[in-house]
Amino acid sequence: MIPLLRHRSFMLGLVLFAAVALVALAAPFIVDADPARMALRLRFKPPSSEFLFGTDNLGRSMLARVCYGGRLSLAIGLAVVALNAVFGVLIGALAGYVPRLDGALMRLSDALMAFPAVLLAIGIAAALGPTASTAVIALAIVYIPRTARILRASVLVVRRLDFVEAARAIGCGHLRIVARHILPNCLAPLIVQLSFVFAYAVLSEAVLSFLGLGAPPSVPSWGILISEGRGYIREAPWLTVVPGIAIAMTVLGLNLMGDGFRDVLDPRLRVEQI
Amino acid sequence: MTRLAAIAPALLALLPGMALADPFKCPRMGGDLAFGLEAKVAGLDQHVSPAGSTRDVTSNIYETLVTRDDTMKPILQLAKSVDVSADQKTFIFHLREGVKFHNGKTMTSDDVLASYQRYQKVGVDRSILDIVDRFETPDASTFTIVLKDTRPTFLESLSYFTVPIVIIPRENANAAPQQLPPVGTGPFQLVEFVADSHVKLKRFEGYTPNTDFTEATGFGGYKQPCLDTVTLRMTSEPAARTAALETGELQGVQDVPTASQKRLAENKSIKLLRLENFWLNVTYPNQSFPPTDNLKVRQAILAAMDMNEIMDAASDGAYKLNPSFQFPGTPYYTEAGKELYNQHNIAKAKQLLQEGGYKGEKVILMTNREYPSMYNTSLVMSEQLKAAGINAELLVLDWPTALQKSVKDNEGWNFFYTGWITVTALGGAQSLRNLADPSNVHKPQGNKSDPEFMAAFRKIESGSTLDERRAAFATAQARAFDQVMAVPFGVMPKVQAMRTNVEGFKPYYSPRFYNVWLTN
Amino acid sequence: MGRHALWRLIQAAPLLLLISLISFLLLYLIPGDPALVAAGPGASADVVAQVRHNMGLDRPFAVQLGLFYARLLHGDLGRSLVLGQPVAEAILQRAPVTLWISLYSLVLTIILGLAAGIAAAVRHNSWVDQIVSVVALLGVSLPNFWLALVMIVIFSVQLGWFPTGGYVAPTTSLAGWFATATMPAVALALLQIGLLTRITRATMLDVLRQDYIRTARAKGLGEALVVGRHALANTMIPIVTVVGIILSVLLSGSVVIETVFAVPGVGALLGNAILARDYPMIQGGLLFVAATLLLLNVGIDVLYAAFDPRVRLGGDDP
Repeated sequence: MIPLLRHRSFMLGLVLFAAVALVALAAPFIVDADPARMALRLRFKPPSSEFLFGTDNLGRSMLARVCYGGRLSLAIGLAVVALNAVFGVLIGALAGYVPRLDGALMRLSDALMAFPAVLLAIGIAAALGPTASTAVIALAIVYIPRTARILRASVLVVRRLDFVEAARAIGCGHLRIVARHILPNCLAPLIVQLSFVFAYAVLSEAVLSFLGLGAPPSVPSWGILISEGRGYIREAPWLTVVPGIAIAMTVLGLNLMGDGFRDVLDPRLRVEQI
Repeated sequence: MTRLAAIAPALLALLPGMALADPFKCPRMGGDLAFGLEAKVAGLDQHVSPAGSTRDVTSNIYETLVTRDDTMKPILQLAKSVDVSADQKTFIFHLREGVKFHNGKTMTSDDVLASYQRYQKVGVDRSILDIVDRFETPDASTFTIVLKDTRPTFLESLSYFTVPIVIIPRENANAAPQQLPPVGTGPFQLVEFVADSHVKLKRFEGYTPNTDFTEATGFGGYKQPCLDTVTLRMTSEPAARTAALETGELQGVQDVPTASQKRLAENKSIKLLRLENFWLNVTYPNQSFPPTDNLKVRQAILAAMDMNEIMDAASDGAYKLNPSFQFPGTPYYTEAGKELYNQHNIAKAKQLLQEGGYKGEKVILMTNREYPSMYNTSLVMSEQLKAAGINAELLVLDWPTALQKSVKDNEGWNFFYTGWITVTALGGAQSLRNLADPSNVHKPQGNKSDPEFMAAFRKIESGSTLDERRAAFATAQARAFDQVMAVPFGVMPKVQAMRTNVEGFKPYYSPRFYNVWLTN
Repeated sequence: MGRHALWRLIQAAPLLLLISLISFLLLYLIPGDPALVAAGPGASADVVAQVRHNMGLDRPFAVQLGLFYARLLHGDLGRSLVLGQPVAEAILQRAPVTLWISLYSLVLTIILGLAAGIAAAVRHNSWVDQIVSVVALLGVSLPNFWLALVMIVIFSVQLGWFPTGGYVAPTTSLAGWFATATMPAVALALLQIGLLTRITRATMLDVLRQDYIRTARAKGLGEALVVGRHALANTMIPIVTVVGIILSVLLSGSVVIETVFAVPGVGALLGNAILARDYPMIQGGLLFVAATLLLLNVGIDVLYAAFDPRVRLGGDDP
């Protein structure tokens, strides 16, 4: 971990991401305004000392809305990451360790990966109907094959290493071999991949919301804030600019962290992962 | 059959003036007008498509036998006169001579017959023709409609332009729904339609204007295509649309958001055009799903509402309160039941809730994300209901899903939000049809609307004089307020904008490009 | 090379089958009723039933699947519920628009991405490198529809350089095409440029560390020559493989970008289909895009093999 702390861009990413995440987590303690409270007389107030990020078309505080909105955006990203961690590892390990399953699983993941990522997510979300959980499911389905593929590649390498052969020789069960010996050694590429998945999930959630396929506007995410504000971009640019910057900070932070993880944990990886 | 007069007394408006002024003449011919539409055009089959975006294009391509003028009175368009029998069951339309379709063919009664038959089969408002016994075409220029029963308002309903009965040539009448080739008799003809991009129209050189008029009015009158071409661009992003108007890429736009109006008003090369009464912001309850199956609860909800606040949020501040299901200044306008509108009386609401035995059941406000005005309406309403101790909850769906659920499901929602535009503008029975059997959007129990309301509603259709029908409308409206069958919040205007070199454009329920010309 | 191409195509066939199966399931599994959408608002129950029958939705799964493939073999992707036009026809009509803008965007991406990546690698750890890295990362991190909106405000409204939207075909007017296609192409390219810059920089750095480059330098060859002749050629190989990813991201991006700029391409077609719940169009559009991408990737693979003979011997994944 120490080399990570010396990695300049990783630290920059960590600071960016942590700042955004902390603000979102601590929203109720730092913002006293209610993100849903309307005050029509105060509509379209530009950023000022009273309203740091201005107010929207219904006079709601954008500071509160961006802070609370981050909770949903990050929660969606985190949920996608969690699903990726579970199913990506499961499928990747199965494919890498059980040669008989490899062909079928990888052809299926090839087929899913043949669709452009965001486009497939759009298709699934459109079919399932727009809610926050369908956005999570859609994005998970899109990114799991990519995670599984990376894990499989690592498993294929690690399973041939001496200590795994040794474990097999002393009669360890398959489950034990995979869980105790193989997976821990595949952690590095997984962490790298998951930090990128997090970044893409936050970005893609915004795209889905922009198309009206994400969470409903009653629980605003950053994507929804941009989508609602876009009609007022000339008169009240802060409605779109502020959540846009929030997304950019988060994604930039995650990307920088992913780069850092890759440099430090797994220098062999070079090719961009999506 | 007795023929009383050339024109029935109720239809005096159809009589052209005797001493006519010189008809409209294009001050300048030529040019292309690029106009920004706010929605994607959902096909051009005007019999089948209920979308306003379809009419925005087709009202320049097609014409009807009967339509409405600027004041919503029925006027003749493709017919020059109509004989109505004494029993008001037979309507004999004498068609205008020499009217040509875009394909060069001259219109005859056979084309009219084929059009009406197609509409009867696939037309959206085909229930208008349910009362028809038969059509007859005694000769090439006469088209007769015989009704099963007396219907004094038949011409009124025949002229509905929500989904008008447009006249198409016989050879196209067998087209499957949404497959109708766009050939009409209107002043413009179709050049190309690129589904999500633009529609291009050009002047129909063979257009025969209706010389019974001197000016265009409503969707009828004396129309002249002055422009060479009209390019209707589908620009659904409001910011991009107004920007294109400012840069001059577009000479006109269909909708200017309230927030942008101030800026555009200061622009010397742009003029704003307002249609004051465009959109009646409406919600209706689900009378089959608790707790809104309970009259007292519905009345409590109505009592709790502050219409000013709701309309302010819905319209970004541009609205008029309107205690009516009609637009102000129209024949059927009435404020009957006004005392129940905009009460903002929390104490009364709480009292009514108690009387109704309300125990904190969820009230689901089913709204959508596509129409900000509907979404904001439901948002403010939910806050007001909560203030009265009602457990209101938003259910935000996409518009197609919400609409489908409101039609199909008797459960899972308590209020649905929508906007009434042409149904309100057309006036009379059409404005309340949604609350009457068998339409019943408010889901009355057993799908039978309130008997008292229905009695009044039938009189709106069958009353022999306008006064009788107006009185019936007032009764029906008061009953609708009392039973909380639907709630009108208020009226929102439509603000369109044109570059100053566009002359003659008057905002209406769809953009009209005839009698419009470009200077310089 | 011909044999290799054929082999890749044969390998792609089962994948194509899977892709089409996924597309079919997408429509089959949706909880909503496409017949209700097709029948339009206010349709009576019998009309809906009739529409459902016409669409074949009342038949058993196996029959529907069979019909789907039977039609697919004839190039029939079904009929759009909204446009009243066959899906395949609608897509083919709009494909040139998306193709031209994508090509434009791809050219921008390759020129700018390569230049920035090489500059950063050659001046490793200098301020050039720092700036390029940050800008490239920003390109990957910004929501591109957001950028598109900001671009309209700045370049169309404030500066008046480009129209706010619309599209003119290059065959109609080349100048008109440049005017309308530039902003969408740039908005699409920003993300890709970021991707390509990062990859080029990383690959180039690798190559520059290789022995033969050191040898070339040691021989006293000029830096420009070293980079230009030796390093660049070897950098190209991994980059060709990235083009597939770039195309995929491009097509995804086109849905929002074409919507924002009112460009009548396949992306906007899909975007509208989603808004209108035009299920056959969504299904057909996805299938079309995925199949096109697959074939493009086969093409890239073949090209790749032409660059690097080792691939032909190596064959598939380990």
